[in-house]
Amino acid sequence: MKSQGQERKYVPELPQKEAEELRNSAKTMSMKVMADNIQRMKKTAPNRPEAMQYFDDISNFFGQREKEIRAEKEKGKKVIGYFCTFAPIELILAADAIPVRVSSGFYDTSKLGDRIVPVEVCPVIRSTIGAKMVGLSPYLELSDAIISTLTCDGMTKLSEIMSDYKPILTMSPPRVKDSAQSLHLWIEEIKAVKAQIEEVTGNKITSKKLRAAIETMQKATKAFRRLQDLRKGNPVIMGRDAMLVNQTSMWDDIKRWTEKTEALCDELEKRVQQKAWVCPPDTPRVLVTGTPMFWPDNWKLPTLVEEATPQGVLVADELCSSDRILYDPVGIDEWTMDDMLKGISERYLMASTCPCFTSKDGNEDRINWLLNKTKEFKVNGVIYYVVRGCMLYAMEYSRVKKALDRINIPVYYLDTEYTREDVGQLKTRVEAFLEMLTARVDF
Amino acid sequence: MSLKTVSDALSLTISAGLVLAGILVIFIWIKDRTRKISYLRIFIQAVSLFAIFSTVLLLAQWNSLVLAVVILVLPIFVGRFFCGWICPFGFYLDLVSLVRKTFRIRYWILPEKVNVYLHKLRYVIAASVLATPFFFGPLDVKTWSSFLQFQGSFKPLIVYFLGPLEPLLIPWPGGIGFNGYSLSYPYIRGITIYWNDPLFSTIAVWAFLAVTVASSFMVRRFWCRFCPTGVSAAALNRFSFLKRIPIVHLNKSEEKCTKCGICKRACPVQVTEVYEQKGGDIATSMCMMCLRCVEMCPYEGCLKVNAAGKTIIKSRNWLEPSKSE
Repeated sequence: MKSQGQERKYVPELPQKEAEELRNSAKTMSMKVMADNIQRMKKTAPNRPEAMQYFDDISNFFGQREKEIRAEKEKGKKVIGYFCTFAPIELILAADAIPVRVSSGFYDTSKLGDRIVPVEVCPVIRSTIGAKMVGLSPYLELSDAIISTLTCDGMTKLSEIMSDYKPILTMSPPRVKDSAQSLHLWIEEIKAVKAQIEEVTGNKITSKKLRAAIETMQKATKAFRRLQDLRKGNPVIMGRDAMLVNQTSMWDDIKRWTEKTEALCDELEKRVQQKAWVCPPDTPRVLVTGTPMFWPDNWKLPTLVEEATPQGVLVADELCSSDRILYDPVGIDEWTMDDMLKGISERYLMASTCPCFTSKDGNEDRINWLLNKTKEFKVNGVIYYVVRGCMLYAMEYSRVKKALDRINIPVYYLDTEYTREDVGQLKTRVEAFLEMLTARVDF
Repeated sequence: MSLKTVSDALSLTISAGLVLAGILVIFIWIKDRTRKISYLRIFIQAVSLFAIFSTVLLLAQWNSLVLAVVILVLPIFVGRFFCGWICPFGFYLDLVSLVRKTFRIRYWILPEKVNVYLHKLRYVIAASVLATPFFFGPLDVKTWSSFLQFQGSFKPLIVYFLGPLEPLLIPWPGGIGFNGYSLSYPYIRGITIYWNDPLFSTIAVWAFLAVTVASSFMVRRFWCRFCPTGVSAAALNRFSFLKRIPIVHLNKSEEKCTKCGICKRACPVQVTEVYEQKGGDIATSMCMMCLRCVEMCPYEGCLKVNAAGKTIIKSRNWLEPSKSE
């Protein structure tokens, strides 16, 4: 596991036996959690779309997809992991590699991460470190290189810690996005990472392949947007189900994912005609924004919202682990290599609403996105979800609150941790908020 | 009124009506498919080229009037819509761009500063063209002949078939004149009167064409960035108190914009205001209303083209063929 016999900068050696024990216990636990989550999702929505079965299967971390990737790897394909949605997936696909997102959602491993970084650090980072220490996440283990975008402080150091194990391709996004020089920097970063991807995979990214990759992703975006559009009306799909569909795109074969999502949308459209709603149409419609939530363990909040009494339904979110993954397409004016690379750079930088950006008028794109979504999806209330240690999202809260107050949408700040212990307490808080929303909806 | 005049007027009305009806039908047919604006535009440009040619060839005594209406009156209401959709010279430049596209050659992007400078320069060019008959007219024409060549669409008769706007230079009876020189700016037909060195003029004209076409091969719509006709068409856009006169507006919805930058990259004349301005009416005097940005914008309803208060075209999620509306 050691990288080229060098001494590790950060991570202490874990005795083989201890690592194995920890891995097994964490694996058993998260398999249980995954099965439990899916079970509960089925229970909440008795007439759950049948097409969801595929996503249930593929969402299993230790199942079908892991085997497929292993088989592909044996055939010589490379796997490239990434932490942030800034990683140019089109380039990975064009180099015949498999893109997988490796940010971790395992609760148990966040405690292991505490051995290296202090508890104050964002649990996503700690959990990813912990998962790597014991080799829990199969996608993280299988990836040949990891694209790390230095967005927040946590990600910046995470890439350094991870370089103890894997080759890391770092990309440094500018902190201001609406200036010519920052776009210039980012284009250079994209070009550099393209060269690095070519080196890792040994395949040259030709303009033909890149165009095919961009078109593949555009088709995926099309399916993705179709699903989001269906959530605008009365609820035909529970928010958790849609979130699961969105999340599976992070590791599934994107072409197959597109097909299956289209199939799901076909089924949902039929349901819209039959008026077969998954929950009463007057259920409060909730939007979640804030720290990304990762399958499998960090499914706490969506579960709470949709299983609470009174029930709420997640109709949209502004999470880089869900609605933001595929929302923006790469738009190409002319299909030349140069224009394609520019299109990719602009799509990943300019359209992003990550709070790591600032500008003279603040991260206005995020506010606009939220206002627009709130109106489009007829949202009744917004839950601002932050895990402890996620500075950037926490600091933007007051601005978001102010903007949403202006259009009379209640916002609720919910901070939590990668732990299962506070579920009871969170439940009370979420239910109180939903109760208030129900009162407003009735009113 | 002779019978011939009546028949001419009748056939002119019919052909104009047919062209307009055709364009309307295409608009209705294409309404749903924002993605196809480019094709539609090329088609309308070709139709306009044909229409202008036939007007000029078949209805000789009306041509100046028709073209004056097309070039002088239409822009009052539709701004530089003329440049993007009707102007034959613009059509040639677009064809040149198409040739470049088929060869997969990447265009050059002018630095923003240069582009802004060009935008200002076009007023100087327009002013000098306007002033020419006053100041240089009485002088020896041969001294200024080379200068007079670089007037874009206002080239002499020799390149008649290369630039369908040439007929604008033909003198027509009844024009406003001063001391024997035409004042009907921007169509300085008087200039042709001075022309008496065919060889030199041919060389100069071909040089002009070569320069504009070659430059447009690498820089999209290069000439249009400082074309004097464009200035006259855009003049109304310059003043805010005249903003109500044009009936075609390009509107942007601030909330829907994610600033992805596609509009900025796709614009053939590198207009940055569509990207930079926050919302509202965003047409500028540089915008040719080619609607490439509306075509490329991937967000439903973010960019809208309003004509007389009604939305005719809006950007849509071009990833999926729309079902309704």
